[in-house]
Amino acid sequence: MSSRRSRSRQSGSSRITRITEEQISDLVSKLQDLLPEAHLQSNARVPSARVLQETCNYIRSLHQEVDDLSERLSELLATSDMSSAQAAVIRSLLM
Amino acid sequence: MRGPNTKAFQQGFLKNMIFSLQACSEFCISSSASGGAAMMSLQQRKCAIKSSANIAMATARGGRARWPQAVLASSSSPSRRPSKPSSSPGKKKKNTHVCKKIVRRCLHTRRRWRAGTGASSLARTTSTTTAMIGSREIARRLVRKRTKVLRKMIPGGELLDEISLLHEAVDYVAHLHAQVDVLRRISNAVQRG
Repeated sequence: MSSRRSRSRQSGSSRITRITEEQISDLVSKLQDLLPEAHLQSNARVPSARVLQETCNYIRSLHQEVDDLSERLSELLATSDMSSAQAAVIRSLLM
Repeated sequence: MRGPNTKAFQQGFLKNMIFSLQACSEFCISSSASGGAAMMSLQQRKCAIKSSANIAMATARGGRARWPQAVLASSSSPSRRPSKPSSSPGKKKKNTHVCKKIVRRCLHTRRRWRAGTGASSLARTTSTTTAMIGSREIARRLVRKRTKVLRKMIPGGELLDEISLLHEAVDYVAHLHAQVDVLRRISNAVQRG
């Protein structure tokens, strides 16, 4: 009985690891699709370490871009007053 | 669930940005009226805009992702300190006061967050104990190293297991992209008008 249980447990865990590896590769390919295609060819199968590295670099560059944009926005808002800024934001809402 | 490219998300984001801009302007007016320091410096304003953009993105996202909670937690925790607009050394306390207002306003219009369940860690497969280091082991080590770096980049990533981390990464990247897009549109609109 115990041997049967242990055998089923072993096969169960290997089934689980197989499923999670599939999930992981699926998620990695989704990440790869999100990344800018300049770095990777989306058709080729890229090793996951590379995808993770590119993701980190991309997140870092996006953070930097948010930083630059908020700096630009703060410079713009320094010159114009708030009401016109709000009007501009509302206008972009309607677009 | 709202995707980052839906109109609903972008409108929610923009609405929250308006709230935060209003809070900034009200704060500037109140501080200058009380005879305190002059208008916020460029640096302060930039920090306020950046944090309000993050808060706006996090609250507009809603749903079950983990990173919004981490973003909101990290931005509202400094606001627990009491803020005195006149006597304080200034920069940090002003920002926290503005942050507190922004967070309160943004959250007032949203549902409560679902209480996140504790992160479950995957049963880690034990590494091979053989003396030879194959290419698979090297690949696994690389992946582990990169995963560690990725954890630092994503807010709230330290608590997650690998699969949730990858889910969060996909989600976070898509939303960051949308955030950059919205910020660009706003600054173009302000520049034009």
